Amino acid sequence: MIGKGSLKVKGFLKDVGGASRVTKMRRELIQNASAQPKPGDPIRALADALHPGPQEFCVTQIREASPTSKTFRFEPVNGHVPVFQAGQYANFYLTIGQSVLTRPYTISSAPFEARLEKPYFEVTIRGNVPYLVPDYFFEHVHEGDTITASLPFGTFYYEPLRDAGKAIALAGGSGITPFVSMAKEITKGTLDLDLTILYGSVKHTDIVCGEELAAAAEACPRVKVVNIMSDDGDWEGEKGFVTTELIRKYASELCGEDGDVSYFFCGPLAMFRAVSKSMEELHVPARRFRHDVMAQPSNVRQIPGFPEELIGTTFQITVKRGIHEDVIPAKADEPVAMALERAGIPIDAHCRGGECGFCRSQLLSGDIFVSPIGDGRRAMDKEMGWFHACSAYPVSDLTVKIPIL
Amino acid sequence: MKFYKDHYEVVIIGGALAGLSAALQLQAKGVKDILILEKHNLPGGLATSYVRGGVEIEATLHEMMSIGTKEDRLKVGAFFDEMGVDIDWLTVPEAYRFVETTKGIDITLHSGFKRMSHEIERQYPGWGRKVYEFMKLCNRVYDSMNILSVTPMSKVQMLLKHPDFVKTVGYTASEVMATFDFPQDVVDILTPYWIYVGNPMSSLPFTIYAFLMADYFRGGSYVCRKFSHEMSMKLERKAEENGAQIEFRQEVEKILVKDGKVYGVRTKRGDEIHCDYVISGAYPNKVYTQMIEPLSEVPEGAVKMINGRRLSVCPVSVMVLLDASAKDLGIKDYNVFSGDTMDTDAIWENYKTKGPYRYITSICLNLANPECTPEDRCQFSITALPLSDPFLDVKEEDYPALKRKIAKDMIDQYEKTTGVNIHDHILEIEVSTPVTIAHYVGAWKGCIYGYSHSIDDHAVARLQMKEEDHYIDGLEFAGAFAISGNGMGPAVTNGRAAAKAVLDDRAKKEAAGKGNGAKGNAEKKGGAAS
Repeated sequence: MIGKGSLKVKGFLKDVGGASRVTKMRRELIQNASAQPKPGDPIRALADALHPGPQEFCVTQIREASPTSKTFRFEPVNGHVPVFQAGQYANFYLTIGQSVLTRPYTISSAPFEARLEKPYFEVTIRGNVPYLVPDYFFEHVHEGDTITASLPFGTFYYEPLRDAGKAIALAGGSGITPFVSMAKEITKGTLDLDLTILYGSVKHTDIVCGEELAAAAEACPRVKVVNIMSDDGDWEGEKGFVTTELIRKYASELCGEDGDVSYFFCGPLAMFRAVSKSMEELHVPARRFRHDVMAQPSNVRQIPGFPEELIGTTFQITVKRGIHEDVIPAKADEPVAMALERAGIPIDAHCRGGECGFCRSQLLSGDIFVSPIGDGRRAMDKEMGWFHACSAYPVSDLTVKIPIL
Repeated sequence: MKFYKDHYEVVIIGGALAGLSAALQLQAKGVKDILILEKHNLPGGLATSYVRGGVEIEATLHEMMSIGTKEDRLKVGAFFDEMGVDIDWLTVPEAYRFVETTKGIDITLHSGFKRMSHEIERQYPGWGRKVYEFMKLCNRVYDSMNILSVTPMSKVQMLLKHPDFVKTVGYTASEVMATFDFPQDVVDILTPYWIYVGNPMSSLPFTIYAFLMADYFRGGSYVCRKFSHEMSMKLERKAEENGAQIEFRQEVEKILVKDGKVYGVRTKRGDEIHCDYVISGAYPNKVYTQMIEPLSEVPEGAVKMINGRRLSVCPVSVMVLLDASAKDLGIKDYNVFSGDTMDTDAIWENYKTKGPYRYITSICLNLANPECTPEDRCQFSITALPLSDPFLDVKEEDYPALKRKIAKDMIDQYEKTTGVNIHDHILEIEVSTPVTIAHYVGAWKGCIYGYSHSIDDHAVARLQMKEEDHYIDGLEFAGAFAISGNGMGPAVTNGRAAAKAVLDDRAKKEAAGKGNGAKGNAEKKGGAAS
């Protein structure tokens, strides 16, 4: 029996010499090592290539994507276009006066275009859409300009380990862009997916990237595009809204009754609500319905629970960065991130929908209203007063702490 | 605009568990002038969580060790209590289920030396008693290790008071276990935790193995009710309440050194901040080859040290949110270690490849924390721990497909082993690799385990060589690469050790300063300004 004090591993003398022995071994290990520094870390280099952070891009082409929208092409100035998944977005850093604003736009070009000899990525933007700085790209961005952008971000993409191999895209307005990227990638043969795109517009002149979509469908039988007009008398195709019946019809065409199909939605909030209802009616399991980040509506009345009585009120925010303090005005009906941007204080907001957490900030005093649309806060953050500045609105004067950028 | 004071007594690089624990330990001893600079936008490093589809997902914590029950607090639990950091700990129901598919071993062990030896006795009659003795040996080594790491004593005293520790310290886990003549199945059953310290049993010091076994089987293991982010946030809040300045999104690029002495840091943003001490959460490999400015201040010995020591493993994990409850899916265990072999040398070779990995561990958090998802959901992860080698040559273009392949292999293997269907229930999925780790926390080569706990880089030898491993005045290290090695429990211990080194040095300099009739601090500040 091996009891206390009587333990023997290989003999008393060898046993008790253990500590000296291992120390000698370690000392030798170090003494015999090379004195040549090896500074390279290929894994960090790969991580940096995949997530390069803000880089400079040159605007090399601006073309019309519809009478009211344009596609902007960006080529890297020094860096490269990182690998991305069709459906992910780029975050732009726009300098307006003294402010640096961030704006996310889904990449409408396909991932393979970023791997061409002359790599690029594109975003497609609609003019006159009341969304933060609506016409910045239209009015201030010209071919030959350079602009700062960071990519890729977002979790709205086809994931073969999770999603069905047949998918229906439900798009409204400029929400078509992720599916343009997917359709082109499928056509190239580098995305293994059968995709039917149900695209709702008001009139046929509102169709964004119509030619590219038609070309993709023409080139590849795995891509099908169905345009649906809600208010276009002359339209000969599908009319009305993207209804449950219409979804059922095309799902059945894609993979038969009760076939395994994933639904991807990108579009305005009102359409999201209607489509969500259709998903219920069609008994679509939760894992088969995915939607893109919903930007916080600029009309705060659309946000459930918003304290409407405060609309028109202006509060003060004391903003701490390190030991520095600023006091800025903040409208009750604008997110804290916007107040910061108006005041020229950078806040690295990305998704603008409360989900991604890049604009995570600390509330030191005062009260905020957090939009329930896409509230992506962690439980402990909620409990301890941390919030995402893109989706939190002041309901009193505040003191907040944000990162020094 | 001025965001920082001109000078801090201590700058801590990294607001992870080690850095935050270092801050708390310093504050408890009266050092209040502390700046913590964290690369990411939240504290905790890998002790964190993320939200997908409205559900919070644990990122890394499998089982927190060294907490203990309220009655029998272990080292880390006691430290948190002492610091006033009140974490809502939930007990993990079992130690582990172990499934070895070649020989058909399938056993579940719970904490408690008696209970686990009975569980082994039931399947391997006649061996329970010897397993119990083995665990008691582990426990004596554990107690000794805890005492000796903070209480210096002579060799004779050590031999008299801690004989089992002294007699086993020079041997590997395999060598000591061999003296018990266990059948191979029992050896296999006692082996699964090896991967938590990332070194095969044939070269893993018994001391480290014993520490692990005693800690988990004595005190059980724990998770936080609000994910490991709860632990990180509560440590951060406490450090902040105690007066530390904590800044996120600040990656430190340079550690400024003059005449062998630290005098500040420079951030990626360009802020130069002066200080007396730096506690680095960045790897010595990075510090001594990239960060010290000027690099001519790096002594040759430091380079030899990082070149000689071997990096341990780094995790690849697939984390999923499933669309049914654990019960409905047939997931019965919190923690399953499984594979087709328990030959850790063979697994080690396999871990030098891109998979499929022969040894995986799975966690279903709901079994310890039922409220971590809505009722009809559960969160589940599978992890293997390869070395960083297979990822060194991965090209950017190939990375997404590699991630998916590794994830699919692990899910397939788990499904085959347990008969549970994962694939058809995935609501959300994320795959992390060493590249993910490198991106978020900047760990050298994505390696979160620090240096291998091998017999020739023994923690006891590290402790004895503490002085000779110290190359730059005022620079301490706190992270998995420090003496106690990897894991969230040891991270806390490493942080405290770094704080103690600063405190000891400070006391020494103050004493010397008084002796010389000059103030140590003033001298240091003079150095920083020049």
